[in-house]
Amino acid sequence: MTALTTKRTKKAAYGPYGKLGHALNELDDRIGAAKARNFLDKVFPDHWSFMLGEIALYSFIILLATGVFLTLYYVPSMEHVTYNGSYAPLQGQRVTQAFASSIDLSFSVRGGLLMRQMHHWACDIFVGAIVVHMARVFFTGAFRKPRELNWSIGNTLLTLAIVNGFLGYSLPDDLVSGTGIRIAYSILLAVPGVGSYLAFWIFGGNFPGTLILSRFLILHALVIPGIILAMVGAHLFLLVRQKHTQFPGPGRTENNVVGSPMFPVFMGKTTGFLFLVAGVTTLLSAFAQINPIWLFGPYDAAKISYAVQPDFYMGFLDGALRIWPSWETRLFGHNIPWEVTIPALILPGIIFGLAYAWPALERKITGDNEIHNLLDRPKDVPFRTASGAAVLALTVVLFIASSTDVIANFLHISLNTILVVMRVLTIIVPPIVFYVTLKICQELRDVENSSRRKTPNMVSRTAEGEYVAVPAPHHEDDQHHEESPIQVPSFIDESSDDGGSSGTRTVDR
Amino acid sequence: MSLRFSLRRIAALAVIGLLALLSVLSTVASADSDTDPMLTSSMGSGQPNSGQPNSSIVTRDKNGNIVQYGNDAILYKSPSQLTGKSAEQLRLLGEALYMQNCASCHGTKADGVLDSGTTGSFPSLIGLGPATIDFWISTGRMPAADTTLVQANRKTPRLTREQGLAIAEWVNSLSPAYPLVPEVNTTDGNSAEGFSLYALNCAACHTITGGGNALAYGTYAPSLHSASATEVVEAIRTGPGNMPNFSGSLSDEQVRDITRYVTANIQNPANPGGLGLGGLGPVAEGFIGLALGVGLLMLAAFWVGDRQ
Amino acid sequence: MSTEHHTPVSLSSVKDTDPHMQPAAKNPEKVERRIAWTLVLGLVSFIGFGWTYWIDAAPWTLGATLGAGFTFIGVGMVAWGKYLMPKGPFVEERHPLRSSDEERDAFASVIANRGGSVVKRRPLLGALLGGGMGVFGVVALFPLLRSLGPLPKKTLTHTDWKKGSYLVTQDGRRVHVDDFIVNEVATVFPEGFQDTENGQAVDQTIVIRLDTEDYVTMKGRETWAPAGYVAYSKLCSHLGCPVGLYEQSLQLLVCPCHQSMFDVTVGAMPNFGPAPRPLPQLPLYIDRDGYLRSQSDYNEPVGPGYWERS
Repeated sequence: MTALTTKRTKKAAYGPYGKLGHALNELDDRIGAAKARNFLDKVFPDHWSFMLGEIALYSFIILLATGVFLTLYYVPSMEHVTYNGSYAPLQGQRVTQAFASSIDLSFSVRGGLLMRQMHHWACDIFVGAIVVHMARVFFTGAFRKPRELNWSIGNTLLTLAIVNGFLGYSLPDDLVSGTGIRIAYSILLAVPGVGSYLAFWIFGGNFPGTLILSRFLILHALVIPGIILAMVGAHLFLLVRQKHTQFPGPGRTENNVVGSPMFPVFMGKTTGFLFLVAGVTTLLSAFAQINPIWLFGPYDAAKISYAVQPDFYMGFLDGALRIWPSWETRLFGHNIPWEVTIPALILPGIIFGLAYAWPALERKITGDNEIHNLLDRPKDVPFRTASGAAVLALTVVLFIASSTDVIANFLHISLNTILVVMRVLTIIVPPIVFYVTLKICQELRDVENSSRRKTPNMVSRTAEGEYVAVPAPHHEDDQHHEESPIQVPSFIDESSDDGGSSGTRTVDR
Repeated sequence: MSLRFSLRRIAALAVIGLLALLSVLSTVASADSDTDPMLTSSMGSGQPNSGQPNSSIVTRDKNGNIVQYGNDAILYKSPSQLTGKSAEQLRLLGEALYMQNCASCHGTKADGVLDSGTTGSFPSLIGLGPATIDFWISTGRMPAADTTLVQANRKTPRLTREQGLAIAEWVNSLSPAYPLVPEVNTTDGNSAEGFSLYALNCAACHTITGGGNALAYGTYAPSLHSASATEVVEAIRTGPGNMPNFSGSLSDEQVRDITRYVTANIQNPANPGGLGLGGLGPVAEGFIGLALGVGLLMLAAFWVGDRQ
Repeated sequence: MSTEHHTPVSLSSVKDTDPHMQPAAKNPEKVERRIAWTLVLGLVSFIGFGWTYWIDAAPWTLGATLGAGFTFIGVGMVAWGKYLMPKGPFVEERHPLRSSDEERDAFASVIANRGGSVVKRRPLLGALLGGGMGVFGVVALFPLLRSLGPLPKKTLTHTDWKKGSYLVTQDGRRVHVDDFIVNEVATVFPEGFQDTENGQAVDQTIVIRLDTEDYVTMKGRETWAPAGYVAYSKLCSHLGCPVGLYEQSLQLLVCPCHQSMFDVTVGAMPNFGPAPRPLPQLPLYIDRDGYLRSQSDYNEPVGPGYWERS
């Protein structure tokens, strides 16, 4: 009896929500935490394509976690040491400390290889997911006013992700990545007018020097992740501030958002999704080996392996460098290395520049300066969809061109033939894709109800032996019965017996 | 006695010292006098340079054929030494097999001249040496199944090793040539040295993981994954097809190290991180990352979210 | 001990019988059991991860257990949210981001009038401050860039090859005229630079012995290829990869990076691919002892092109 009384008194002392409520009140006294309730009620649309950006966000979290692990063991030094670790075919070889520490963290640190592979797979997924997410945003017109700024931030994030991926790929100082750094150095040389100075400053002298890996590490592990983190923050802040876009549908207007509340439904699902991203990354890392640097050996400027490509997100640059003709002009006694400057600097400049400029371009062309919160179906905007498809097609063709040698070997066709074919494809595929996409979209747009799901046909045989197809009647379960949306309730009234006064709960005193 | 002995020693030392001094002086002098390249470039026509000790790691016979590469890390043996049969026996067998399998392209005299008297489009085998012929036959590239190909493909050999060696012996009897057939024991080789040399000399064509790749104008560097140790040495020493030769630039010890790395490590790569993905590197990895990684997660998103 | 508590309020609320509050699952108890089992599997997988780590098992077992743990927990959480929580849909009103006209005017007025007038009244101070910041921006570039490394000067146009340099292989052995047979190839360096990092990067040279009949003597290079030995810079003129791929019957050097092809019989002229210039040729001679040596440095910069290259 006494115990019960004490309990009850305590609960009363803490208020209607007990200890938790008390703690929240204390927090609110200090920082006004209760004002975050609106955030908990924030409604997120449930369409699956809105989760693509989350794949990128969560793989970035995995990158941060595994990256911290790697920096605990990696030594960014180009001092040469004699490798004396556990991998026999390297024992006694002269390697840089960077390479030796990368091998050691893979073989001698428990779980180290798994962490390295997770970091690399997460990076591939990170960049891939950003591209897929961007494609979704582009093709549905989610970048339109008022979200142009967030589109630009996303563009910058993609650029930074690609750059940082390249820097990280360079750090182990193996034969493959060293070749990549060599090519990057040569591309820097081709910067108009100041290339040789820029290359010397960045590398601290002529290639390879002794500084580049420590500089790459500070960029890769501190500066660029810091910028990415800040920009992800800005990206999400703007997302919350401007609220989600949504596809048109019953109850969905320009002036509302329909979906699930942040807390707890969306939070539960999205945290589960974080675990799923981590799960897929870890399982990939468990069963698929990535970047086996011990098979490539240490970098040495005079050594080279054939069939070496950069990671896929750099592939379009490598492909462009392969297929670009050997144009070089002499002007006022100087070499103009067009064969590098155009494919490695001007071309990506144009592609990314176009992406940055597109919202403004589209505003200008269509004269549409309205606020848009409802998304387009890609087929309804043929020109935009066709343009996006053409640029994607160009990058895919260039990506394929980055493995002309592997394709030639696989198909037993002359390498030279493949290269010429890729040159031709680069020129003709984007316009063809543009035209075909444009036509398909225009046709679809003009078909009524083309976005509705079709009902199956029932084929039946008549008494005369004739087959006829008639649309099946709608089954009850096929119909998408959706309630009209309601405001997010603060809580659920469990005492269903008193109907009217729901929404309040009285506390026994 | 002891005094005389030490005197002899001093005299010997003095002579050696003098010789050393002379050689240093001559090097310095030659560095000065060799400024006229026209004068010196006419030298060295590939003939053995007499009178210069340790001038080259290769040892040549009086015809200029290389018979040894530095040391005895690899043994070069004649077909009869390898098969245990007499040279006559092998020649008899070899001639018959040659006429049956090879003569239609390389000519009955193995000189590339066909019976019709025309020089065919197929090479003469004269002067190739037993190692070359053993390589082409034991890798199944010869006799060729399709003579119109840019490059003969490796396949299951049609002739046995002994039959191949018999042909090699017969062709060699027409005009003796080198190198003989190598016999290598890779267990004495050093994988790490081999890895380093492989990366410098071989990986540019065969790739660092030995998968091979397409080369210029329809040619290709074959995969090394099924090459035997003997074949690796033969290829290095004889330069089959488009492959360059390596004689004096690699000693037998170095070739043995490379062979060790190829047969022990490239053919059995350490893949502690999971499936090796064919050693193709970032292309395969990118494909897996996009298809399995991003693809699976898109499917997951498809489940997590609504589809309407 | 009675405390005054206000009655909790809600902006909106519904009864739990409301269709919006129903779980999406038709049979929630069954789904709950399944989710429970999934979460149990996740928990067991994490224990398995701890165990494999403890016994130092193969990397794939670590990954498999950890990955399975993540995946099971993830599936469980998503299913919980998707099938057992209120299915909705819920709506949130979107309030225009645009502020009212009064707020906009007030804001602009603060920036333009309060800020602008202060500067306008003291144009000299404004100009000086702006100028100072501008100069700072420019001079800040110097320590940021200029201190990072030296100026290129002659390092891009010269290598360590000198008159009389011996050609040595990477293990330091001098190349002798008798070493090579026809169509033999090797990577060489000037003696003394074979194991320095920059030496390998800049000086690397590929030497090939050609049949003297195949070699086409070019004007001004009559003496450069004694006994059929030709030496070219191993740095591709496209992007500086080592051009280590030699095809003896085609007599082509191919760059493994971007497949530029160079004909070694005619001064390594580019034959196919993106490389614009031939590989620089190193003039050779054979000294009295039969060793290969260089007549001089390369007579043009090695490696890729750049705008300042003359």
